[in-house]
Amino acid sequence: MTETPEKSQRLTDLMRFAQDGDGKAYFDLLRAVTPMLRAAARRQYPVYNRQDVEDVVQDILMSLHAARATYDPERPFIPWLMGIARNRIADAVRRHARRAAHEQIVEQVPETLLDPGANMSTDVYRDPEALRRAIDGLPNQQRRAMELLKLREMSLKEAAAVSGTSVGALKIAVHRAMGTLREVLSKGT
Amino acid sequence: MNLETDDLIELLATRHQPIRRLAPPRNRALHWLSIALCSVAAVVVLMSPRDDLAAKLTDTRFLIEEVAALATAVAAAFSAFCLIVPGHSRAVALLPTPSLAIWLGSLGQGCWQAWLNFGDEAWRLSPDWVCLPAIAVVGAIPALTMVVMLRRGAPIAPRLTVILGALAAAALGNVGLRLFHPQDASLMVLVWQFGSVALLSLLAGWGGRQILAWRHVGSA
Repeated sequence: MTETPEKSQRLTDLMRFAQDGDGKAYFDLLRAVTPMLRAAARRQYPVYNRQDVEDVVQDILMSLHAARATYDPERPFIPWLMGIARNRIADAVRRHARRAAHEQIVEQVPETLLDPGANMSTDVYRDPEALRRAIDGLPNQQRRAMELLKLREMSLKEAAAVSGTSVGALKIAVHRAMGTLREVLSKGT
Repeated sequence: MNLETDDLIELLATRHQPIRRLAPPRNRALHWLSIALCSVAAVVVLMSPRDDLAAKLTDTRFLIEEVAALATAVAAAFSAFCLIVPGHSRAVALLPTPSLAIWLGSLGQGCWQAWLNFGDEAWRLSPDWVCLPAIAVVGAIPALTMVVMLRRGAPIAPRLTVILGALAAAALGNVGLRLFHPQDASLMVLVWQFGSVALLSLLAGWGGRQILAWRHVGSA
């Protein structure tokens, strides 16, 4: 990563102010480093789509936040940042490789299942209007968890960061929401 | 910029509070060493120092091995504290190598000397299973202190960091053990004591990813 000495110094200053509690400096710092992180993720994680890259960038930002006490203003900022970025990107690559190893590519996805009961529930979930109504009827917390995890397809930690709740609470909310939806949709058939 | 990433940045900035910077690795290593030495000294006193300790303190080989083990502990602790700060080169993990080599070299030389003096008799190894739990007990408080201190950093290389942290605690545990456990045959020390230090370090490193993991969800 080649950055001008001025930019490097500016980032170092922003981080120092941020460590002292300046929220504006911290906001500016995160905004300033995000394009660098995105470029690094694209460079080291070249085969993945835009959303995958964005997931990695968000993971790096959260890791930076968690590790911000370890930064020593006497040392340059960019090697510190890139140390975190490399670690998170390497983890993302490992996760992707593990996932890919368990995926099976099929030429044609079967449209029906042998078990008639299974087909019935599939049809129920294919009624988007009924599903939308059922989701709208969920309690606030469950609806929010469904939106973040199932509709926006965020990971648990991202959803927890965005919603301000714990991963455990999100898991419980989704579990309950799924139960309620299953019940509501099966009554409708 | 992606909207979700913008949201995240805003959220992180909103929740941001002033933070206490982590002290430099050298200071943290000294801090750890002061706690660890006190706890090891307390265990040695509780277990009663060996009767021939005064004589052993004039034995050059004993002193070399004790100093080398202590130096290994200090270097490994410093390396571990460096590795939890992003941006440090992993080459810092090699710092304990010279003292480790002196420690091993002295034990190896002792084995060679014993073989010259006693022939095949020198290779007789009797079981001494007490070394493994004893080193674990003497090194327990240093190890726990190390884990607590390492968890304040970033798990950039968790396995390597935990191996080094465990090596620091176990090496110090071995320094303490030799002050109350009268076992001086080089082969016995090499297999049962040095072997226990190596085994404990590797076992801890195996669980490194569980001991040191990113916890940013909780703090975000």
